[in-house]
Amino acid sequence: MPSIVTAERLSKTFQVKVRDPGLRGAVRALFRPRYRDVHAVRDVTFRIEPGEIVAFLGPNGAGKTTTLKMLAGLLYPTSGRVEVARFVPWTGGPPFKRHIALVLGNRQQLVWDLPPEETFLLNRAIYDIPEADYRERLAELVALLELGDVLTKPVRQLSLGERMKCELVASLLHRPPLLFLDEPTLGLDVTAQDAIRRFLIEYRERHGATVLLTSHYMQDVTALASRVLMINRGRLLYDGALEVLVARIARTKRIELVLGGGDGNRVTAEALAAFGEVKTFRFPNAVLEVRREEAPATSARILAAFPVADLSIEDPPIEEVIRLAFARGVEEGE
Amino acid sequence: MITRYAALIRNAWLVDLQYRASIVLWLLWGVTEPAIALGIWWAIAGDGSVAGYARDDFARYFFAVMLINQLTIAWDSWYLDRWIREGDLNYRLARPLHPAHEAVAENIAYKARTASVILVVWLLVAAAWPAVRLPFDPGRWAITAVAVLLAAAMRFFISFTTGLLAFWTTRATAIMELHAGVSLFLAGRIAPLALLPPAVASVAGVLWFRSMLAFPVDLLTGAVHGPDAVLRGLGGQIAWLGVWIVAYRIAWTRGIRKYGAVGG
Amino acid sequence: MSGMRRVIHVLGAFWRLNVAEELQYRANFVASVLGTLFSMATALLTLSLFFHHTTNLGGWDYWEIVVLLGVFNALTGVIEAVLRPGIGQLAGEVRSGELDLVLVKPVDAQGFVSFRRLDLWRLSDVVLGLALAGYALTRLGRIPSVAQLAAFALALAAAAVVVYAIWVVLMSLAFWFVSVENIAVLFDAVYEGARYPVSAYPGALRFLFVYLIPIAWTTTIPASALTGRLRPEIALAAALVAGLAFALARALWRAALKRYSGASG
Repeated sequence: MPSIVTAERLSKTFQVKVRDPGLRGAVRALFRPRYRDVHAVRDVTFRIEPGEIVAFLGPNGAGKTTTLKMLAGLLYPTSGRVEVARFVPWTGGPPFKRHIALVLGNRQQLVWDLPPEETFLLNRAIYDIPEADYRERLAELVALLELGDVLTKPVRQLSLGERMKCELVASLLHRPPLLFLDEPTLGLDVTAQDAIRRFLIEYRERHGATVLLTSHYMQDVTALASRVLMINRGRLLYDGALEVLVARIARTKRIELVLGGGDGNRVTAEALAAFGEVKTFRFPNAVLEVRREEAPATSARILAAFPVADLSIEDPPIEEVIRLAFARGVEEGE
Repeated sequence: MITRYAALIRNAWLVDLQYRASIVLWLLWGVTEPAIALGIWWAIAGDGSVAGYARDDFARYFFAVMLINQLTIAWDSWYLDRWIREGDLNYRLARPLHPAHEAVAENIAYKARTASVILVVWLLVAAAWPAVRLPFDPGRWAITAVAVLLAAAMRFFISFTTGLLAFWTTRATAIMELHAGVSLFLAGRIAPLALLPPAVASVAGVLWFRSMLAFPVDLLTGAVHGPDAVLRGLGGQIAWLGVWIVAYRIAWTRGIRKYGAVGG
Repeated sequence: MSGMRRVIHVLGAFWRLNVAEELQYRANFVASVLGTLFSMATALLTLSLFFHHTTNLGGWDYWEIVVLLGVFNALTGVIEAVLRPGIGQLAGEVRSGELDLVLVKPVDAQGFVSFRRLDLWRLSDVVLGLALAGYALTRLGRIPSVAQLAAFALALAAAAVVVYAIWVVLMSLAFWFVSVENIAVLFDAVYEGARYPVSAYPGALRFLFVYLIPIAWTTTIPASALTGRLRPEIALAAALVAGLAFALARALWRAALKRYSGASG
């Protein structure tokens, strides 16, 4: 079975106008504009099989959204080849667009002043969905996302989480084989994020859809994706199973402490160093790095040993993971 | 396609329902502008006439302007400009429907709503004021309907094409306002074209401005009569509609290409 | 009155911030001046068209009406620079509930909402408008006397107060018609009638513009002062009307505010 998404040496370069500051610079930019190249995506190659859930992970500006837009046909590549569901996205036209759903985290397709139902009806017409199929799919999606009576309230009265869920419903009524999600959990509270992740897994289970999402949340990746493509500064740093990446790179966890008053004043960096590597220590805050497996046990010991007001266990920040990926020379591409 | 348009128009109609207070205000603008112009020309005409227009003629003219302007006006450049700049074009391009259809449907819903109000107002005023009554002439009205349709289509393409300039400039709406300012005179919003200096009036006739508003208005009020004049006017409308459709196609193809290069 | 001083102090802080922002938008300034020049040119062309077919409108000749047009632009400049930016936000704030943030501040809400934003560059409209009026006066060959200039200043101030009162009424409407997005459109549509002297309009419209929506006072009277047509009694009457309008508008505002606080309280 051929891959559903093929990207070969995909590159995208933007030309950005360079403007010197001040009035003279502004005038010069008007008459003799200068450009510099921004290599948003460089030489990215990967294949995705039907039914996979794949996450593009990387910091802001890494090139994830640009890649996604090329797959969705909104941008055309500067060089390289891309094929999605046997179409070339940029020239695919309406037949291609029926195969995909695109959900952008920061902009919504729901009509703001009307209930979400109205947008669903609109999409039913746009995608030519037969009446029976529409009812069945709507019922299923509403049940899976636990939307209930939200559908009759105007979109502007819904919470961010409810809106995102309705966005998903609107995008999936035509049951596309491919789902492109750009930062779907952006700005949502933990409950909503969780609900959406569970939904995507369930949906994929039932319908075998291929899901590509971009994110800079580690939790999106851990909960959802069997496979992660790490992108930084336009380059593909890692492509493979998540467990392998985690085991390889994010071997540590961070314990973030807030020390209590009173006796807490007398805690020293040396005392903390006995429990792990002290990354920062400025009273009352401290951050320790410990091995992943040991984090819970070490936390318990710290709580017993010191007066701690607050403690949390965090993944190392994504930038750290990527920096490490760079430093340890993770092979690029597949 | 029909089901899609039905859905799009229904959607636009419901949104307009939410904004009916705002729409009333915009409607007010559509009424006060001709009303003030009428007031001034009424005063100037006095008991005589100006270039063949007596007071009653002015009254009929400006009521026709009120109605037909409401039926043909297009403002798509404003929200197209916003779509392009604020990233609302992306999801529209990702679905199998050309964004222009949504704009057309919105036009239809809005105009159905506002023009019917103006029509009712005209009928009520006509009941009390004989000056604004038109002779019963279904044949003329049918031809006027065709001319109005052509004018509305052309103004839509002008507005949409100007909005597409937002792919290249941040001043697309300024260009539209410039056009609106010029059409105040050349399309006949401030005075019948016969009252303009002849050189200016001929520019309006040679370019698309007469086709926008003045010609359908003159058809309705009977200022244009005889098969020759009518056919020439309709021909001009069709020709300019064609020109603007071509302009739109060029702007769209080039614009989308640019969008695909730099994104939004 | 310490309440007043506090309002001015707070407004001063806001204005300093606005000015700093606005100084960054020089391109917008050029665009705005061009826009004003374009609309002034359009207005002059319209007037020329009318005068192509007549020698006077309501007893006013061409250059007298150009004086009026200058006054119109000056007043519009004040509206655009001072009133519209702050008041324009109001409808949205009522809808979203952000208005509560405004009402909580320890200053008079009406003063704050009206004057909080200053669109500095639109004051250029005031300059352009007065320049146009001055030019028209030279074409008329009538240089106003000191008394006339004083009357003009009084009439212009009264006009500004009347315009402000109308805006306060519109602001108050935002509380009842919460879905009104564009109160400004209502004002603009009707204010177009202030471009011409009151006497130019036929009976019914004249009644409307003098008694019902007193915009006629705002341009015709100050322009009359400059062109020497103004009788002193009228100038005083204008001041009285301004005071009355302000009082009525403020009463309406307070009623609206009371209703709003009651509803959401």
